[in-house]
This record gives sequence, structure tokens and C-alpha cells, in this order.
Amino acid sequence: MADIRTEEMLMNVGPQHPSTHGVLRVVVKLDGETIIDADPVIGYLHRGTEKLAEDLQYNQIIPYTDRMDYLAAMLNNYALVHAVEEAMDLEIPERAEYLRVIVMELNRIASHLLFIGTYLLDLGAMSPFLYVFQDRERIVQMFNEICGARLTYNYMRIGGVKWDAPPGWIDKVKAFVPHVRKTMGMLDDLVTGNEIFLNRVKGIGAYDADTAIAHSLSGINLRCTGLKWDLRRNRPYSIYDRFDFDIPVGENGDCYDRYILHLKEMEQSLRIVEQACDQIPDGPVMGKAPKFVRPPAGEYFSAIEGARGELGVYFVSDGKDKPYRLKFRRPSFLNLQLLPSLLKGQNMANLIAILGAVDIVLGEVDC
Amino acid sequence: MIAFFSWVHQALTWGTVLKMVAGALIVLFFLLGAVTYMLYFERKVIGWMQLRIGPNRVGPLGLFQSFADILKLLAKEDIVPAEADKPLFLIAPIVAFIPSFAVMAVIPWTASHVFTADIAVALLYYLALSSITIVGIMLGGWASNNKYSLIGGMRSAAQMISYEIPLGMSLLGVILLAGSLNIVDIVEAQRRFMWFVVPQFLGFCVFIVAATAELNRTPFDLPEAESELVAGYHTEYSGFRFAFYMLAEYLYVFAISCLGATLFFGGWSGPLLPGWLWFAIKVTAFIFFFFWLRATMPRIRVDQLMSFSWKFLLPLALVNIVLTSIIKYWVNAG
Amino acid sequence: MFGFVKGLAVTISQLPKKKVTIQYPDVRPEWPERFRGIHELIPERCIVCGQCARICPTSCISLSGTRGEDRKLRLDTFDISFEICILCDLCTEVCPTEAIKMTGEFELAAYSRDELYKNMEWLYDNYIRHDGVRELEAAGEPRAVPEKAGERGE
Ligand code: SF4
Ligand code: SF4
Repeated sequence: MADIRTEEMLMNVGPQHPSTHGVLRVVVKLDGETIIDADPVIGYLHRGTEKLAEDLQYNQIIPYTDRMDYLAAMLNNYALVHAVEEAMDLEIPERAEYLRVIVMELNRIASHLLFIGTYLLDLGAMSPFLYVFQDRERIVQMFNEICGARLTYNYMRIGGVKWDAPPGWIDKVKAFVPHVRKTMGMLDDLVTGNEIFLNRVKGIGAYDADTAIAHSLSGINLRCTGLKWDLRRNRPYSIYDRFDFDIPVGENGDCYDRYILHLKEMEQSLRIVEQACDQIPDGPVMGKAPKFVRPPAGEYFSAIEGARGELGVYFVSDGKDKPYRLKFRRPSFLNLQLLPSLLKGQNMANLIAILGAVDIVLGEVDC
Repeated sequence: MIAFFSWVHQALTWGTVLKMVAGALIVLFFLLGAVTYMLYFERKVIGWMQLRIGPNRVGPLGLFQSFADILKLLAKEDIVPAEADKPLFLIAPIVAFIPSFAVMAVIPWTASHVFTADIAVALLYYLALSSITIVGIMLGGWASNNKYSLIGGMRSAAQMISYEIPLGMSLLGVILLAGSLNIVDIVEAQRRFMWFVVPQFLGFCVFIVAATAELNRTPFDLPEAESELVAGYHTEYSGFRFAFYMLAEYLYVFAISCLGATLFFGGWSGPLLPGWLWFAIKVTAFIFFFFWLRATMPRIRVDQLMSFSWKFLLPLALVNIVLTSIIKYWVNAG
Repeated sequence: MFGFVKGLAVTISQLPKKKVTIQYPDVRPEWPERFRGIHELIPERCIVCGQCARICPTSCISLSGTRGEDRKLRLDTFDISFEICILCDLCTEVCPTEAIKMTGEFELAAYSRDELYKNMEWLYDNYIRHDGVRELEAAGEPRAVPEKAGERGE
């Protein structure tokens, strides 16, 4: 038996593959169904956002950020305007800050819902995908009401937000919160207890905190190892220090933890949304921002907790109304780095379970 | 009428042969119709479970949607990949399809066999023929010369072979109770006694799991795990060859449902309603169950699949057989 | 052990629920007021200040105007290339006279790229088709419902 000649097989997963979430290509070397090597190839969605930004005024860059992590565009919007506002020391009206927090947390919920849906779809369960879309659709509709777009919001401006909430919008958000809780309960019943699902994700793709830090992972990919690191808590920005919420962490750093953390984080986001809706004051939504935004010359970096991890914006200003250089620290891109070492030695079927749980958005990876 | 089409006791003349062919054709067209509406039913049921409304554009309530799909498939170009093993590639879908139709020959629709064959070893015939389909699937996977197809084909071969054994074993309990391999006898035995699902509950559980796996349906749809293998063994197939594979797959769903309804739920027997209606109701319930599973379950992992069959399902089936034999001996003796 | 049974209960309980599908071409979605669809343009209002063209991040607006006899600038051409427009709303934000606004129109599919290049006339027609009907009627103008309005096949 020992001298049966076997052959390695080189297989292309992607870029046109049903579950690489966009246009990621993974070149896997297979021995039977065991992966002996995996090599992610990125760049199929590269649009040169950072380079384009060098030729755009700061406010003009905002619509481009919508298209990076298109599942959490509000957070991207905020990352940019927050960086510029910090550089210019702008005063933001209270109401604008609250509105920002509400839309950001709603967007985080929408993004996490979508993660859960697509992840389960990857694992072969169809229905949850459509169930979560129901709630996501309501969030998207609310965004549509507040800023006129369903996916590419372009809602935030340097110095505030573009629109105030339409009448009744805040109440709508409040009324929406219990709906998400119900959906989450349903997901628990439908999936979390399912033995087949548990068998597929428990203990799969596990890594420890040291590995996570060495690969500069962030977000849920970091917290699943048990490390409590959330910028909303550790380096509070905006008005997050006014809210009462927890940072859920995992224990084993496996796919199951990552899945569960998404659910738990949604719960925390719901809490923030509820509190923000109760506390929101009246007032203007746009502060005194100069018409031409000219941050003083220098280098600036600021980061926020995006839906997928630490979303940083670094820019160099030479005092003009356009950045000299703009760089986004995209969490998906950095989180993806761990993939090859996670995949090595795994079964082919785990490829999808692991890749899905890393939760990347290709728009953000390629930028 | 029934005697006219029931050819068990007729002499084999040209006339009978002609009638047989006619009967087979009628059954074929009936099955094609049934499969078409099964597709429609599946899409509707899963749609409803997912808060959608399913097909609704072609014809009233979308009733002609499946016909439109089939027409589309038939009108499509039949693509043979350049590097494929051409003859094998061409015949593989047919090899997979023919047995799926042939197994229907032993299913009794009603109390007496109309158009179908009342053979003594019907169950053996069913199991034997249905395994030929595996060859068709493997050939298709191999001949496509595509890596996804190859892995898909290998997976399904491994899966179907390992689940065929528990499937056969689970049927043994029924055979023991009825004392016959003939399906009509089995139904008659249930009429006298009770539905075998009660005394054979363990066997039924094994049957339903093994059957789902045998059908490559969720949660055992690994060969076509679209999120991993694109479309599995039929990735490269298009047009009517692809239709053949789909047809075979759905015919098996139908056939297994018929088998389950006959062996465990008394087939056509039932009060008040005519036999064929009872049979239809039971089969529909089975089919519905498969669709329901599909709407609910995630996919099992390939290595767990094998160990589940050999380490869990097979012992369970064996325990069931032993228990059944002991009880039967004990009842007979006492 | 039987966690999946709960899942089966969940899926079957969805069966009789109200479906969420919208029969799209027959039933149209209700867009909120702020919805950012394709632009509409009212040439009379435009003062040819060029701010919209300058703020546009994708530079998809091109316009030109001439000074009339009353020394006022009049719009001659105004084109938006919807191949590259990202419907970001910045142009309508800066327009001082609300000459350019956005409508609820969102169906942009076309057979050729050239068709996506919309000129002033088209954009004005779009205004007539959308807000125009309402606004002109309110103003009591005679050409309140021009022929074009019927073309959308509603
Ligand atoms: S919506 Fe944005 S991209 Fe489109 S024309 Fe206006 S400014 Fe340009
Ligand atoms: S900003 Fe308004 S007024 Fe100025 S050129 Fe553009 S459309 Fe005309």
C-alpha cells in the first residue's frame, strides 16, 4: 500500500467561485482533500482609492470610502471625517454625534447580520440568509430615509452629518430594536444549537492571542482569542464613553467563537442604539466647518472600531485642501494575512468555514 | 382494465410486449410530470419557508416555471470541454439516469401492479439498480477533467457507497417482519399488522438518514456543495445532459419517498380514500420532509460524513436487525 | 442531541407568514423623499456657477454657458455621464439655486454606454417626469402635464 503514487493537485478557488465573497482567489495545493498550501491572491477589486484621494478635496473623498467596506459604509465615512476633524480640532454638535453613533451601530448590526447570513450560506444553510436579510433590509430602509441611499450612504460630513433625522425616525429605530432581538433568538434556535453546525465550526481554525497580535488582527478576529480590545472602550472616540456596553470576548479563538461573537456584539450595539436614542438632544447637526477643509500641515492617524476591526486613517497634509497622502488601515486586509497559516493541513471543506469566519469584504481588502 | 395492464400472469406474446412498452412510456411521462411539479413544489415550499413566494411569473401561480426551465435546458448548447474524455462524458449522464427510472418499475402505485412489475425480489432489485447511478456520477466527475468535478464525483461515490449499506440494513428489519422481499407482500403484511414505522422506528430513522445521504440532499449534499465545489460532479455539464443528472436526482427523491411510504407507512393501504390517493399523500409527505430539511440544515463535513455512516448508522442498523429478529422469534415462539 | 429539531420548528413556522417579496416591475418600491436617484435639471434656474462640476468627485458633469443680452449667464449644455456618476449627491448639495436635484428614478440600465450620457434636454425631461409635474401644477402653469409624463408606462 505504501508505494501508491499520489499526486498533488493545484486548485484555484476563485475569483469566480460561489463563496469567496467577492473576488478573492485562493490557490490551494491539495493532497486528496487536505490542503497543504494556500495562497490568497488579491487585487481583483483594486480601484486605487488612496491614490485617487490625493486629487480630491476631503469632502469629496467621503463617497469613495463608501465603496471600501460596502457593508459598513457609515463606519468608513466616520473613520475619514473623524480623522480630519481630529486634525483640525473641530467642534461637532451633540446631535450630530448621536446621530453618527446611531447610524454607525445600526450599520454594524447590518454588517454582522450579513456576516451571519453569508457564513451560514457557506456552510450550506440557506434559510438564515433570507431571515437576516429581512432585518437588514429594515436597517437599509432607515438609512435610505435618513440619507437617501441604501448602500453608499455618503452621510457624514466634516463637521457633522448631512441630514438631520426625518421626523419619527428615532422612534422607528427604537421600535426596530426588539425586532433584531427576535431575529437573534430565531437564529439561536435555528442554527446555534444545530449539531451539524457545531461540528463544523467548533475547534476549527483556532489560533491564540499571540498569533493574533503577531498578525495584527483586530476586531472580532482578535477578540475571539479572549483579548479584550475594542477601540470604543480602550481609546474612546466620539461619545462612546457615555454608553454602557460590554465587550464580549471568546475563549478558544475558533470559528464558533467568531460566529457567536458576532451575535453578542449585535446585542451590545443594540444597547448602544437604545441608549443613544434615549439621550439624543435637539440642536444643529452641522458644526462650523470651513468651506474648504484645510488641515494644518502634518501627519495624522486616527482609528475607530470598524465592523471588522480597527479601521484606521492615516493622512499627510501639506496645508492644502487635498491630502498629500492618504492611507487606510483596512482591517479586512490585515485579517486576511492569517488565512494561509490557518488553512494549512485542513480539510478542503474547512476552507470555506475558515475563510467565511475571517469575515473579509473584498472591497476593503483591495481598496 | 387492471387485469389488462397487469402482465404478471399473461403469456409473453408480441401483444404483451407492446403493452409493456406502452405502459413503460406512460409511466415515464407520468414521472416526468411528477418530477416537474416536484421541482415547482420544492421551490415553492422552500420559498415560503424563507419568506419568499417562489416562482410566480410563468403561467398562473408560476405553474409552468419548471417547464420553462426544462425547455431552456433542452434548448441550450451541449458543451463538451476540450480536454474531457469525450465518450465517457457523453454517456455518463445517461448511465446515471436510466437506473433512476428503472427502479420505479417495482413501486406499486395501487393495490395491484398497474404498469409495474410484481417481482419477488423487488427490494434487492431496487438496491442493485440504484447503485449503478453511482457509476454514472463518478464517470461524469472523472470524464469532465475538472478538479471540482473530480472531487465532487469522488465524494459522491464514497458517500453513496457508504450509505447504501445502512440503507440496505435498515430495510432488513422490514423484510424480517414481513418475511418477504416482495413489496406487495410487505404492504399486505402492514395491512394485517400495523405500519412498520412503529415496530421499526429505529430502522425508519436509519432509513431516513441514509436515504437523505443517498440522495445527496441537504444536509448531505456534499457532492454538490456549491460553496466548496461549485456544482460538484456536474460542474461541466450543460444543456440536456445536465438535465439528465437533475432528472436522475429528483427521480430518486421520488423513488425513495415511494419506497419509504410503502415500507414504513403502509403504501397504498388506508381507510376511505382510494389507494392511489393514499399513496400520493404519503409520498408527498416524504418529499415535503426532504424539502423541509433542505430549508433548515447546514451541510455536514465530508470526513464527519464517513465516520457518521460507519461508526454510528451502521451499528444502529445492526442493532435494529438483531432486536427485530429476537422479537420476532420470541413472538412466534410465544 | 436534538438541537436541529428546534431548527425544523423555526423553518416550518415561517411557512404561513406574510411574504416580503415585492413584485417589482408591477409594484414599485416606495422611496423616501431623500432618495438619491438620477438627477433632474431645471435649466432656467441654473446660473452657470460651475460649482457642481467642480465638486463632483468623478468629474462627470460638463457644462457650458454664454452671457445673454441681459448680462446674465445662460446654460447652453449640461451633460452628466452616468457611466461614472456615483450618485453621491455632492453636486445637488452645492448648487445654490437648486437647479440640479435628484429624483426617485433609479433604473439606468441601457444597451449601450452612449445611452448613459445624458444631456440637458434629457435631464429636464426627467424633471418634468418627476417633480415637475407636481411643481408646475402647483404653480398653475398651463403645460403642467406634458406628453412625456405619460411615457413611463405606469
Ligand atoms: S451625484 Fe456625485 S458623481 Fe454624480 S454628478 Fe453629482 S457630484 Fe458627480
Ligand atoms: S451648481 Fe447649480 S447653478 Fe451652479 S452650474 Fe451647477 S446646476 Fe448650475
